[in-house]
Amino acid sequence: MEHHQANWGRPRNDVYGEYDFAIHNAGSHDEPTTRTLQPTVTGSSVIGIKFDKGVILAADTLASYGSLRRFVDEQRLFQVGDQTVVGISGDVSDMQNIQDTLDQLEIEANYDADGYPGPTAPSIHMYLRRLLYYQRSRMDPLWNSILVAGFKNDEPYLAYVDLLGVTYQSGCLATGFGNYLAIPLLRKLVDNDGDEKNVTYEQARKAIEEAMKVLFYRDGRATDTYHVAVITKEAGVQIEKTKCENMSWKFASQIKGFGTQKE
Amino acid sequence: MTSIGTGYDLSNSVFSPDGRVFQVEYASKAVENGGTSIGIKYKDGVVLAVEKLVTSKLLVKGANKRIQTIDRHVGVAYSGLNPDGRHLVSRGRQEAESWRSNFHNPITLPTLAQRISSYVQAHTLYSSVRPFGVAAIVGGVDENGPHLFMIEPNGTSWGYRGAATGRGRQVAKSELEKLDLDSLDGETAVKEAARIIYLAHEDNKDKDFELELTWASQATNGRHVEVPKQLFDQAVEYALAELDGGDEMEE
Amino acid sequence: MPIEHSFNPYGDSSGGSTLAIAGKDFAILAGDTRHSTGYSIDSRNESQIHSVGDGLLVSPNGFSADARAFVDDVHNDIIWYHHKHNKKLAISSCARSIMHTLYRRRFFPYYVSPILVGIEPDGTGAVYSFDPVGSYEREASRAAGHASELLVPFLDNQVRKANQVDPETGKPLAQHDLDLETALQLVKDAFAGAAERRIQVGDWLEIAVVTKDGHKVERYPLRRD
Repeated sequence: MEHHQANWGRPRNDVYGEYDFAIHNAGSHDEPTTRTLQPTVTGSSVIGIKFDKGVILAADTLASYGSLRRFVDEQRLFQVGDQTVVGISGDVSDMQNIQDTLDQLEIEANYDADGYPGPTAPSIHMYLRRLLYYQRSRMDPLWNSILVAGFKNDEPYLAYVDLLGVTYQSGCLATGFGNYLAIPLLRKLVDNDGDEKNVTYEQARKAIEEAMKVLFYRDGRATDTYHVAVITKEAGVQIEKTKCENMSWKFASQIKGFGTQKE
Repeated sequence: MTSIGTGYDLSNSVFSPDGRVFQVEYASKAVENGGTSIGIKYKDGVVLAVEKLVTSKLLVKGANKRIQTIDRHVGVAYSGLNPDGRHLVSRGRQEAESWRSNFHNPITLPTLAQRISSYVQAHTLYSSVRPFGVAAIVGGVDENGPHLFMIEPNGTSWGYRGAATGRGRQVAKSELEKLDLDSLDGETAVKEAARIIYLAHEDNKDKDFELELTWASQATNGRHVEVPKQLFDQAVEYALAELDGGDEMEE
Repeated sequence: MPIEHSFNPYGDSSGGSTLAIAGKDFAILAGDTRHSTGYSIDSRNESQIHSVGDGLLVSPNGFSADARAFVDDVHNDIIWYHHKHNKKLAISSCARSIMHTLYRRRFFPYYVSPILVGIEPDGTGAVYSFDPVGSYEREASRAAGHASELLVPFLDNQVRKANQVDPETGKPLAQHDLDLETALQLVKDAFAGAAERRIQVGDWLEIAVVTKDGHKVERYPLRRD
C-alpha cells in the first residue's frame, strides 16, 4: 500500500493532474520573515502642555480596530516612577509591550535601597528613543507616537518620540490628529519656550479640556472619555478619568455630503 | 568532623556510607558563621532584619546593603557567603521577571520560594558545582497575604511564622518563639526584630555591625521597602533600652 | 496582483538649515531652532548645534532621528578616544573618524549632511563638511538643510568672492579671511533671507563662535510664521 501522503488516496492523475510537490514541501522554514507593516488596534491622539508648576497629559480611552470602536475603556497614560507619565498612541499591542518593558525598568530601579531615586522623565525618554530607533533600524518598528511628561532638574519636562526614533521637546505637544487639532489651541497658551511660567494649572487644564472636546468633534477615531494626568512637584502624579462636557453639536448640521443628506 | 580524611567529603555526587553528603553540610557551616538574619510574619505583613557585620571602618555607613529586593513585593535576607547570596537573588529576580512576562501578574511567594529552592537543590547533585553557602529568608506579600520562607543550602524550603539563621540563630529563635505572632502588628514586629538582632549580636560584640530593617505589608502598598527612618530610629531606641533593662535584671 | 507593503525607515522630520564659516582664528556654526515634519512645526526650540567635546561643534542636519543617533555616535567616539589615548582629538582626526561613522552605514545611511567646526592645531578656524555616506572636505564655508540652495550661492559670493570684481581695477576680488564682525553679519542676513523663503526655517537663530578659548552661543529671533 502506498502510504506516502502525496500519493495515497489521491484522485486520478489522468483526470486531475499530477500532485504539486511544492505543496508537500512547503514549510515554515522557507517562508519570508514577516513584520508589523501597519498598526492594527490603535489609540488616537495624546496631548500635553506645560504650566507653571508641572505638566498635564491627556489621552482618550478608545482603541480602534480600523474604523471599528473595538475597545472603549483602554488606559493609554502610564505612570513610571514617582514623577513621570508616558502617554502612548498608535498600535495597542506595541503599547502594551512598551508598558511591560517600562514596568520591568521600574522594578529593576528599585532592586537595591541604594538611594537611587529611579528613572526620571528625561532618562525614560532617552530609553524610549533608543528603543524605538533601534527597532526602526531593524525594519521592525514599534508603531507608536509617545509623549513623556515629568520633570528635569525641577523644571517641567515634555518630550515626544515616535516609531522612527524622531524626538523633540516643546511647551505643548501632541501626537496624531492632535498635531493639527489640539496644537493650535494649546499654542495660544504656550507658544514660546518659557511661556509656561505664566500659565496656571486652571488655564492649562481648561485648554486640555477644550482640545479633547475638539478632538472628539472632529477625529473619527476619538471618544469622549479620556484620562488626564497631572504631574506636579508637590503632589506627584495624579491620573483621573473624565468626560467631555458642555459640548455643542450645532456645527454638525452645517456639514454636507454625508449620511442620508441629498447634497 | 567525622568525615575528614575519609574522602567522602570531596564531592557533591558521592554519599558517605552512612547516607550523608558532606559538602552540603559544610555549606551549612558557612551559614552558621554569617551575620544573623531574621524574618517575622505578622498579621498583614513581614519584616526582615539583618545584623550586617562591618568588616572595616573604611566602608561607607549604610552602603553595601545586605537585604535585597527580588520583585516589588518580595524581599530577601540571607546569612553566609555574600556573593553566593547575591547570585541567588539574581536568579530569583530572573524567575520573578519571567513569571511577570508570562502571566502579567506578580509571582506568588510559594512559587518563587519553590523555584529558588529547586535551583539551590540542583547545586547539591553534581560534582561540578559547589552548594550555596547561604540560607535565605524570603518574605513578601502576594494575593494570599504575607508569606515567609527559609531556603537552606540543601534545598529545603519551609514556610515559617518566624525564621532565623546565621551565627545568632539560637538566641533569635528562642526570642521569636516568645512573640505572640497572631496579634503582632507591623510597628511592634519591626521593634521586636530590631531587639532580636541587637540581642543576637551580644555574643559577637567585638565586631561592629549595622542593623538593616525592611518590610512588606498592606501599609506599604504590598511593596518591599526599607522601614521609614523615624520608625527605624524608634526600633533601635527600643532595642537598646530592652538590652539595658535585660542586663539590669540579670545583675 | 499581490499588494506590497513596506516600512519606510526615513521620515521628513528635520531641523531647518545650518551654516558654517571659517575665519583666520575663529569658526562660526549657525543653525535655526525650528523642527518640522511636513507642514507641521513640531518645536520652535530644538538646537542643531551640538558640542561633542575637545572644542568641537557638530551640526548633523537631516532626518532628525538619524541626526541625533549620529551625534551620539560622534560624542561617544570622542569619549572613547580619550579613554584609549588620553589626549585631545584634533579636528582633522575627528573629521576622519566621522567619515568612518558615516561610511560604516554605507548601505543604510544616516540621512544627514553634517558640518564639523573647530580650531586646527595651527590656530586657524576650520569647517569640515560631509555627505551622508562620508565624503568630506575642509572648506571656507558651507550650508546644509532646507535652505542650502539659498545659502550656498550667497556664501560663494560673499565669502569666496566668486565673480566679484574690484570696481576700481576691474580685476576679480581675491578671497581673504573675513573678520568676525563681517562674518556674523553675513550669517544673520543669510538666515533672515532663508526664513523668508523656506517654511522649514524660522523661530530662533543660534550662532556659535568657536575660538581657541572655547565656544559661545548667542540667539537671535527669526520669523515665527
